[in-house]
This record gives sequence, C-alpha cells and structure tokens, in this order.
Amino acid sequence: MFKIALSPAERSYLHESLSCSSPIRPDARLYKQFRPLEATCSFLPGSNGSARIRMADGAECLASVKAKVVSLQLNNADATQQLQNLIEVDLDINGIRDDSNLSSTIASSLKGSLVKHVPLDKLRLTHRYAFKLFIDIVVLSHSSVYPLTLLSLATYMALKSTKLPLLTSTVDDREIEEQPMFSDDWESSIALFGDSSLSPPLLFVVAVVNDNIFIDPSPEEESVSENGICLTYANGKIISPLQTISLSPKDNTGINAAQILKAHALVKEIGPLVTKSLDEIVSDDSVKTIF
Amino acid sequence: MTEIISIRKPLNPDADSDVESSDEEMLEASLAPKNNNQSIVTPGELITEDPIWMRGHGTYYLDERTYSSVAGTISKVNKLLSVLPLRGRYQPETGDHVVGRITEVGPKRWKVDIGARQDAVLMLGSVNLPGGVLRRKSESDELQMRNFLKEGDLLNAEVQSIFQDGSASLHTRSLKYGKLRNGYFVKVPSSLIIRQKNHLHELPGSITIIIGVNGYIWISKTLYQKSLSSTTGNNALDSTVSSAGAKGNSYTPGQGSVSITRLEEESSWEIYSDKNEPISVATKDTIARYANCVKALAKCDIGITETRIVAAYEASMVYENAGLLLDEETMRSIGEDVLNRERMRG
Repeated sequence: MFKIALSPAERSYLHESLSCSSPIRPDARLYKQFRPLEATCSFLPGSNGSARIRMADGAECLASVKAKVVSLQLNNADATQQLQNLIEVDLDINGIRDDSNLSSTIASSLKGSLVKHVPLDKLRLTHRYAFKLFIDIVVLSHSSVYPLTLLSLATYMALKSTKLPLLTSTVDDREIEEQPMFSDDWESSIALFGDSSLSPPLLFVVAVVNDNIFIDPSPEEESVSENGICLTYANGKIISPLQTISLSPKDNTGINAAQILKAHALVKEIGPLVTKSLDEIVSDDSVKTIF
Repeated sequence: MTEIISIRKPLNPDADSDVESSDEEMLEASLAPKNNNQSIVTPGELITEDPIWMRGHGTYYLDERTYSSVAGTISKVNKLLSVLPLRGRYQPETGDHVVGRITEVGPKRWKVDIGARQDAVLMLGSVNLPGGVLRRKSESDELQMRNFLKEGDLLNAEVQSIFQDGSASLHTRSLKYGKLRNGYFVKVPSSLIIRQKNHLHELPGSITIIIGVNGYIWISKTLYQKSLSSTTGNNALDSTVSSAGAKGNSYTPGQGSVSITRLEEESSWEIYSDKNEPISVATKDTIARYANCVKALAKCDIGITETRIVAAYEASMVYENAGLLLDEETMRSIGEDVLNRERMRG
C-alpha cells in the first residue's frame, strides 16, 4: 500500500474542489467517469479463462480461471454446501500480506458473491464428478488503498471468457462409476456464462466527499475522501455485499442515507455501461485460440 | 455514452512476430556497430573501439572498447565521450529551479524529495525566516522548524550547490521561492523538461505554473494582490494584517520604522501559511485542464515548455469535458496538434 503525503494546502484544495456543489476532480473527470483502462483476455495458455487489465498509472491486475475435475462425496447430505465449495478464490495483492485482514476480507467477500452468480449447475458434470473453479487473482501493482474495482473488473472478464471442455462420456453414473471423458475439440467447448442469465458480480468503490460521490477514485481523491462505499453490481441490480470502507486514514465521518442512495443510483446507472464495454472486449478476444 | 468508461485493447497484443525480427535486427546491429552516426545507443552497445576517447558518464569499457551503460544519445565534447540517458532520475545542477516535497525534518535541515537519486537538503540557514532577511537563526528556530515546513509540504527552491555524492543543497532565499499554495501538483519525467531562463510562467486563465527542472510541476492560481504588496511596499496589505496596520495609520515618523518592521514580520509568516486563498470553480476547472494538458504532453514525449502548454491548452478547448483528455487517443491528437502548430510557425 502506498502512502501519499499531501501538504495541507494541497489537501484543502482537493477537498474543497471535491466537496463543492459542482465538484471538480483533479483530473477533470466527471463524477461517474472511470480512468481509461487497457484490457485483454483469454491470453494465458494454461487456463480456461484469463484477463489482464491495466490503468494508465501502471496499476495492473491479472486474473485466471482454471477448472479441475473433482469427485463429489455422495454420502454427504449437504449438497449445496458441496456446490459452493466448487469455487476457490486465491488473491495476491502486491505489497499486502496474503494472510492480512484486507486481502482475506476481499477474497471471502468475492467468493461469497461469486457463488451466487456463477451457474453452478454448469460445473456439475455427472452425479459423481464436477468441475471445480480455481480463480487466481494477482494485483501486480496498484496505487489505491482498495484495488477492488480493478480486481473485480479483471475477475469479471476472466470468468466471462472461461470455457469448459465438452463432456463426451455418459452423464449418468449413478450405477456404474466411469471416469469423465472430454472432447478434444476446443471449438466445441462451452462458455461458462454462455447462455446463462447470470453474470459475474462487479465491485465498485466510490469515494464520498461531503455530499458528493465519485467512482473510481484516484489515490489523491482517496486520501481526501471522508468515506468509501463498496457496492456490488450484478444483473442490473445492486446486491450484497454493500459496505463502507475507509479510504483515508483520517477524518472519517459518518455516512448518511442520502450518500448511500446516491452511490446506489450511480452504480446502477453505470453498471450496464461497464458490463457492456467489458463484454465487448471479451467477445473480441474470444476468437483467440489458446490450447 | 463512452464518456463513462473507456477500455481499449493493448496496442501490440501479439508482438511475437515483431520480437523475432527486432532480435535479428539487433544481432545485425551488433555485428556492424561501427556506424557512429546513429545517435541512440542501448545498454551494452559498443560505441567505439578507438581508445583515444575519454569515457564519461553512461559508458564503461572492456578490452579498450567503450560500451554504453544506458539507453540514450551519444554526446562528444572534445575527447570526452558520454551517453546522455533518455530517461532516468533527475540529476540536479546548480541554479536549477526545482519543486520538491519535504520528506524529513532533521537537525537544522529539511530533507526534500526532488526526484533525484538522493533527497536534497534544505538547510535552516538557506530559508527566509519570518522577521526579516537579516536575522540570525536561533535555537528557538531550530525547535519550531515544523512550523515553517513539515513533512509533505511542497516548496519551490533553487539548487544552491551539489555535494560530492551528487545530492543537492537547496535554498529559498528569494521571494519567488518558498512554500506552495493555491494549486495542484503534477509529476512528469524530468527528461522532458527543458532548462530555461525562467521556469515560472503566467498562463492565460490567470494561472501560474512553475515547471520544476526536476519534472515536478505546480499549477496554481495567480495571486495579483501578493505581487502588488511586494512591489508597492507595505501600504497595500490585505485585511489579515490591517488590524496591526491600524496602529500604523496614525504613525509618526519616529515610530514608523518600528511598525513597518512589525508589518514585515507578520507578512513574512504568511509565506509559511497552509491556508489557500479562495479559488473559484472556474479557476479550479482551468487548473485541472492545464494538468491534463501537461500529462498529455508527457504521454506524447514532447518536451514541456510554456508555449507548448499554452498550445495544448488551446487545442484542448475542443473538448468541453477536460476529463476526456485522459484518453490516450485524445492525448495523442493533442500532442500532434501542438507539434503541427510549431511546424506551422517554423
């Protein structure tokens, strides 16, 4: 994590320009405008889906989705629990310890929302076998306190570009145990989110300054913000987790309902636009052959 | 609405074929390195086999041959051969006007980050202290150094001298140097800054810009009152000191000198103030636009000068929302625009 030192004059300048009724961000962005991004996906040869996303300031995040066939324990009654275990999230943020509070919180909240929004029935191969998804996310460098937006954009693209090989052996193995067999032809693979009505969740961090909210805050904006809200968006709706986060070490004030409503409306407005532009990149890159 | 988010694909996603060909080219280049006309060299590239050259910065030699140790351009001064790096940390030179940020307060000195290899030093003795120029630094000054400048504060200063190890010693003994207020800080590579006579400029839109030679740029609101008070003396002081000046209104010639020094003392404290003047929304908008223009010039690797910043600013007026200037394509078009204008002018 990077600490940026601002002089009191700079701090008050930034705070003042962000908190007035017609706020001016230091880089003249609109309150709902992202910094430009550079993204590519389906580029890792060994994984079923992958994505890389970069910001102009050098922040970079890689995400990879790998599928592995696992056998399900049949005697266990709790089937839903087993299905939820089919997703594993591993997170590595450069500069933050893997077992730190921050990265474990992000990983678990990401996993929690992914379980609800990944078509688990597609992972189920047969009665005995299923695909287990290993989602590895590496934040190579970042300048913000919570690199959540970057991280979730990369995860979204990696999941959207995930393809699973087609099962050729029998689906019903209740009586006779049989090793699952897959088609060699990568052309006939199935996209995980192909015809699903579900879509991977996106996490957005908004900074709160006075009565104004800002999407994708830059490090400077974070350091003068009073509060941060993390919202999750999926399928045109805001879903849980919705939580407040502290983006700056000092002057955290309380949050009021109006600010949350504003953030809610903002994410609801931009969510479809963000997913649309991400989907464009995914569909552009999907023609690439990996294997 | 593409204004919300712009995601583009990397410029060379499949560079495999290019890498091979460039490898071959490099191989060829290393086989025939005698071409001294080529001005750009890469690290490890043979510059000359001639042993008469004296080896300067950015070079090394093995078996009587001189190689480049950095990527940059060859410079030959008499028999001295050196390579000037294209990028790299700022190398301070005496007389440079720089912008820096305090990183540490130490015994009788401040450490200042100026983007060089080492932090620069600002001695307590090289700053203007409140209470007049000719004042001895006392122990109480040493104790209250954080009241003048503290960690994180931005200041502009001049490089006074260079130590043996290449670190710089700064001074702020002039009215134009000192703590910075009322603006916004932008950082660009120092190699893009061209050393000039003057690094403080007034730009259209009542904006003052300090282009530090170290690539640290300060864009702020122009303060007219301040320059007025410093030129016309203490008569035109602002309301903050008018209470002290009330005594001075009825001063007699004998007491006058006392009250004037007193006023000077109070106004001197202002140079270490952390409070901004009121800045209008329009000015802030202009500052943000200028900041984006500077970033656009840096993105296009165009040397940054006052005229180019103004040209970029004028070119940017096409975009009503200055936030669009962050887009790489827009930056490129602004850069091209600036260069075209220069060509037109000749």
